[in-house]
Amino acid sequence: IGKQNTKQQLIFCIANIAAGAVVCVESEIRGDVTIGPRTVVHPKARIIAEAGPIIIGEGNLIEEQALIINSYPENIMPDTEGVEPKTMTIGINNVFEVGCVSQALKIGDNNVIESKADLGKNVILTSGCIVGACCQVNTCEVIPENTVIYGSNCMRRVQTERPQPQTLQLDFLMKILPNYHHMKKTVKGTSTPVRN
Amino acid sequence: MASLLQPDRVLYLVHGEKKIRSPLSTLYFCRYCSELRSLECVSHEVDSHYCPSCLENMPSAEAKLKKNRCANCFDCPCCMHTLSTRATNIPAPLPDDPSKTTMKKAYYLACGFCRWTSRDVGMADKSVASGGWQEPDNPHTQRINKLIEYYQQLAQREKLERDRKKLARRRPYMPLAFSQHTIHVVEKYGLGTRLQRQRPGAPITSLAGLSLKEGEDQKEINIEPAQALDEVEPLPEDCYTRPINLPEVTSLRQRLLQPDFQPAGASQLHPKHKHLLIKRSLRCRKCEHNLSKPEFNPTSIKFKIQLVAECQVLLTLTNPVENITHVTLVGCEEGDPEDINSTAKVMVPTKELVLAGKDAAADYDELAEPQDFQDDPDVVAFRKSNKIGFFIKVVPQREEDGDVTVSFKIRHDFRNLAAPIRPSEEGDAPTEAIWLTHHVELSLGPIIA
Repeated sequence: IGKQNTKQQLIFCIANIAAGAVVCVESEIRGDVTIGPRTVVHPKARIIAEAGPIIIGEGNLIEEQALIINSYPENIMPDTEGVEPKTMTIGINNVFEVGCVSQALKIGDNNVIESKADLGKNVILTSGCIVGACCQVNTCEVIPENTVIYGSNCMRRVQTERPQPQTLQLDFLMKILPNYHHMKKTVKGTSTPVRN
Repeated sequence: MASLLQPDRVLYLVHGEKKIRSPLSTLYFCRYCSELRSLECVSHEVDSHYCPSCLENMPSAEAKLKKNRCANCFDCPCCMHTLSTRATNIPAPLPDDPSKTTMKKAYYLACGFCRWTSRDVGMADKSVASGGWQEPDNPHTQRINKLIEYYQQLAQREKLERDRKKLARRRPYMPLAFSQHTIHVVEKYGLGTRLQRQRPGAPITSLAGLSLKEGEDQKEINIEPAQALDEVEPLPEDCYTRPINLPEVTSLRQRLLQPDFQPAGASQLHPKHKHLLIKRSLRCRKCEHNLSKPEFNPTSIKFKIQLVAECQVLLTLTNPVENITHVTLVGCEEGDPEDINSTAKVMVPTKELVLAGKDAAADYDELAEPQDFQDDPDVVAFRKSNKIGFFIKVVPQREEDGDVTVSFKIRHDFRNLAAPIRPSEEGDAPTEAIWLTHHVELSLGPIIA
């Protein structure tokens, strides 16, 4: 048990932040998290890799109080042996708006998860999906491309064009955020443990 | 007073055409009749039309022409939210030199809630920010207009005949202008005024709102009767076997909001102009005084006249008026016809309770003497400026899962502060107090075992 504890503590500190990403110090990143270039993580965002690593692509925008968590399935205790860690993959140009919760293991590109939306563990988002504000999606399915989920009853419709990548917003934030917040250190090349 | 979040706990009984029980916040008080009025015992009149998104005022005649729709604003056909105009830059060839391209602004409509855009139904982007959007034409418009004209003429003829009959019955000195007045009033107000209430047996009252303008020639309009077809188009062969593309199917609500097309596919859902809202004024039916009259300006939420019950009637022992008020509570007797909802017996204090007047400056006036009311501590729990808390005993009558409801009558004195119409002959006589009795029902919540 002692060995396991030290191993977990080591994993606790690995955060692989690529060059070009802007990650504020006030954000909470725990576990094995890889963040691609041109991604902006606002303060108070939380990315928690409990049951496995999280790989986040480039050009993503993760706003305040967003929670991206790779958690254990409900019926499995954290200390059980023999549970394989599942990787959570997040593609490029996604937007996680303020206060959203995402536990989906696979998210494609160009998706928008609006404020206070809730994605369950068994959902898989493809590309161009928009999950509306306060919508809870905890079904076990693959959401087809360009789907918009909106309304209090989570109605769905398909839109003809995917949402535009937020390049303007990303550029603006990458310029302005470092003026007001300290950033986490980025890592070039191979991963090295970083002390937060 | 019942709190803002639980308005239904205290109900007042209104003696109108129907007996209505509703919380005080939804009631009005006619100070000429000295009675409570609810929304069902007042007549509602349209004051003005306005668009809820651009807040543009529209005179009633123009609103009627445009079918009560705003000219500038659109509703999303998918989620009924207001559409906003967005601009993109598209390269377009210069008019002088076709080989070079310059960025021009193109506008399209987009919904912020469900992300519908006008490009989804194939509407091309417009080059002007507003006014370029056309609603698709209804193929049946011509036939419908012709039918409307024909029936307008019919209604006009019937009205003239009816007026002629009325005149023949009346005394000869009644002027002809009466019939023109009827038409004029009906045209202006439509159904709903005192002169045009629906009487059972009156023919075609729904057409009474349509009327030709005076002076128009009476052309004979003939319409062809509709033709009944024997053969109907057959259903397509794969009607049962074709897989349904669910996102393409429109919901009933989306379909019925466009009654002229009723599209079955989402790719034919065109945006509609936004519906106008009205501001209404309320009028007491007995004394014909206005109870509530809003301001004309759509951006203003104030009222020119507002006789809301909370300002005039006693709230559960908070005194809204500035005079000292005496309140007596009387329990409902056995067999009281109004006492249908109570599930518990209540014993109210028998003595008269005195409430101080409302004094807005009382909080700031340090030199004011504390008011000295001799309060019986068994009856009065606390007293604070114009509020009083008192004890009542409740005995639930049956073991129920529902709420315990008690009812009793409040009797208080009320001084009418409206200026008297007749000048008072005695000169300095103070306004007389009248005693009002209200039947109150109080919902106390469920019994905890």
